[in-house]
Amino acid sequence: MSTCEHCGFFFLTPKDADDYEAGKGDCVRPKKDEKGQYWLSKPTFGPNEACPEFHKK
Amino acid sequence: MARVSQSIKYRGKVVAFPLENPAENDIPDEELHEHLAKPSTERTRKLKARCRWKHASAGEFCEKGVRAGIERMRLITEAHKASNGKPEVIRRALGLKNILDKCTVVLQQDEFIIGYHAEDPNMFPLYPELAYMAVQDYNISSYAPQPVEESKDIANYWIPFSMQSRAGKYFDPIDLGRMYNVSTMEAPGFATGYNSVVPPYETVLEDGLLKRIEMAEANIANAKKEMAKSPWDATKGLDWIDKIDNWEAMVIACKAVISWARRHARLCRIVAENFETDPKRKEELLEIADINYRVPAEPCKGLKDAFQAKWYTYLICHAIDRYASGYAHKEDKLLLPYYKISVQDKSFQPMTYLDAVEMVEMERLKISEHGAGKSRAYREIFPGSNDLFIFTLGGLNRDGSDGCNDMTDAILEATRNIRTTEPSMVFRWAPEGREKTKRLVFECIRDGLGFPSIKHDKIGTEQMKYYAQFSKNNNGATDEEAHDWANVLCMSPGLVGRRKTQKTRSEGGGSIFPAKILEVTLTNGYDWSYTDMQMGPETGYAENFKTFEQLWDALKKQYAYAMDLVIRAKDVCRYFESRILQAPFTSAIDDGCMELGIDANSLTEQPNGWHNPITTVVAANSLVAIKKLIYDEKKYTMKQLLEALKANWEGYEEMQKDFKNAPKWGNDDDYADKIIKDFYEDIIGGVMSKIVNYSGGPVLPVGQAVGLYMEIGSRTGPTPDGRFGGEAADDGGISPYMGTDKKGPTAVLRSVGKVQKNQKANLLNQRLSLPIMRSKHGFDIWHAYMKTWHDLNIDHVQFNVVSTAEMKAAQKEPEKHQDLIVRVAGFSARFVDIPTYGQNTIIARNEQEFGAEDLEFMNVNL
Repeated sequence: MSTCEHCGFFFLTPKDADDYEAGKGDCVRPKKDEKGQYWLSKPTFGPNEACPEFHKK
Repeated sequence: MARVSQSIKYRGKVVAFPLENPAENDIPDEELHEHLAKPSTERTRKLKARCRWKHASAGEFCEKGVRAGIERMRLITEAHKASNGKPEVIRRALGLKNILDKCTVVLQQDEFIIGYHAEDPNMFPLYPELAYMAVQDYNISSYAPQPVEESKDIANYWIPFSMQSRAGKYFDPIDLGRMYNVSTMEAPGFATGYNSVVPPYETVLEDGLLKRIEMAEANIANAKKEMAKSPWDATKGLDWIDKIDNWEAMVIACKAVISWARRHARLCRIVAENFETDPKRKEELLEIADINYRVPAEPCKGLKDAFQAKWYTYLICHAIDRYASGYAHKEDKLLLPYYKISVQDKSFQPMTYLDAVEMVEMERLKISEHGAGKSRAYREIFPGSNDLFIFTLGGLNRDGSDGCNDMTDAILEATRNIRTTEPSMVFRWAPEGREKTKRLVFECIRDGLGFPSIKHDKIGTEQMKYYAQFSKNNNGATDEEAHDWANVLCMSPGLVGRRKTQKTRSEGGGSIFPAKILEVTLTNGYDWSYTDMQMGPETGYAENFKTFEQLWDALKKQYAYAMDLVIRAKDVCRYFESRILQAPFTSAIDDGCMELGIDANSLTEQPNGWHNPITTVVAANSLVAIKKLIYDEKKYTMKQLLEALKANWEGYEEMQKDFKNAPKWGNDDDYADKIIKDFYEDIIGGVMSKIVNYSGGPVLPVGQAVGLYMEIGSRTGPTPDGRFGGEAADDGGISPYMGTDKKGPTAVLRSVGKVQKNQKANLLNQRLSLPIMRSKHGFDIWHAYMKTWHDLNIDHVQFNVVSTAEMKAAQKEPEKHQDLIVRVAGFSARFVDIPTYGQNTIIARNEQEFGAEDLEFMNVNL
């Protein structure tokens, strides 16, 4: 089973961040549509099961 | 070829009107607006080209792919379930925290001001805790949040917790049934969730949220000390409980907002370091990351900080904590200190004037793609817009000096350049205002934006002073603070600043529809043309009224019934808002709430009870026609009139012509104006002013229209002014009915200037001659018109400057007219985004020419 922490879109939350929790990170995914490019960032935890957009590091 | 106005004889000479810009001679009228946009930089050109507009037309979104997101409602519901048993204000704070901690944050290509309120920039959030019916409405539409079954469950979950469930039981179901029909009066706010707020942006920019947290924590520590005092005094000691809860909620909310902003900072850094390939943008993203780490936690140090902190405050107060329409603030005054630092002193975030213009253009585009999760009804009544966004400029400062400054000019210049319908703006007109700025105001109007709309600076300031005397805690606006006002939404003024601002729409914005009320007055309170219901008290059948005064009295009773109900619904709504819909973040940034430990929905320091009569002029013109043709000249009987109305004038064409030709508002006709002035002052404002609302002040009329002049027009049967049933009503609170102001622009001003008592906040729509406005005399004529308007003590005016040829061309080929903007009511819209019914009402407005008599009256030198 792939997990978020092995995904190239997963970025661990720094220890000095306000929202730091052990294993927590940002899932940052690039998106593109006819209006242009954008990025979405959502909190997740490293051990979580990866989503279909998993992208190996 | 462009249309050029014909020469006229004026003061003994022939005055010609060549275009100010000779190059425009080669631009056909049919495409003028497509040549006026001039984004100031390549970045803003690109941002406009890719703008994710959320305009709606006839209730449908104009662009593909726009839909409701589920994330916010999922997170607020999750928090509500998890916080059962805690004080309600803490639950509200934890709800906001859960959204901000777990929501998706968004960064888009090329943008500098960042932040969005839904999980995708094509989406908008919903608010089941405000109005579960609005969510149900989306669930059956093609914009439904996905998965829709989850959305249905969420809507159902909130039913017992809703304001509607709690407030509704204090009303007679018959009254509520009448309100839900939205024909004589609006639906209650506890069912629609429609709201407006004036966030105290100043404290965020000046203090930063860390300071606000410190203040709340100090207040909690002090409260606990007070509670521990011996001997215990319950009459004082127990008061601290609510206060402590409120301050704790403020701390939770502010910390959550800081953390959320810093998640944006982190996203920028991650994108810069891992995805971005352009070194220049990479560097910029790191700068944005730095800004978003510091603000809104810390005080703003420069203009870039200020734009970003303002945007975050807007998102929280208007779109994330709860929904609220509007964009109320006095932007030039708010940003001036940071403009001075960055543009004039260049001591932090140094930039040029043109850089500041670009910032404003970027801000306008952020607003342009902001989506609001309004119900279908509210999408329909703002045709062509995504929501109402209105801010204010100009006026006088506290010390009486000119409030126009270089920031004002940068805002106006950007607005003219980028050419977007949102946000709209208000310019406070004071004779002392500098001409340089007024010329930029003129250029925006001349180019057809429909804004700034103009408000009379002194009248607005006096209104703040008037309302201050009713302050329940004797802390209304001081004479100095009374200068710090902005429009809350389209028309009503309200304080801006660190405290005393309007926090919820229960304070204003109740809509009432006089044309329909007059219609039911003629038939004993019964509505035969739309609802087939008794819509008000039984006040008699018009054919039995022996005198015009009897009709007047019956109308007054019907109006009073509806008005009382509208305001009672507002205040009951407020009662529950302060108990279950507290706003801890808004409270945290208000100095009054912070000092007193009271929630923003509960605390009232400055009453601001402006409410909206809409369709007043159809009713007024109808009264004139009835008085003249039935009671004075006795040409017809009331019975005949009622038969003709019932037949929608069919078979009564000659009679309709007589009623249509009766004197109309806006022509300086003494017969009509006397009746209409009395109608405004005795009924519209007179009845309202007897009501005392939640804040302890009287309520006053702020006559306007939004798109309701179409919506209510379609629900109003034929009227004695000669109008067919279903036709649009008048498009503003005091605007002449479309096409009936035939005596020139100054005759309109003379009529409007006659109404003075009990009100001074009525919308005046005027359509001015495009070739005159674009001629070399355009500014001088408009400036003289404005001086005349000011001297007649009129509160408001706004303009369309657009040719019929161009509007008709856009109806044929909409894809070629994406930049054609028109003023609808208190907002502007892209013409092609308005349904045809609405487009035709704009075309039908009289394009006012300026004849020699008008010029003489205005005493203009040409």
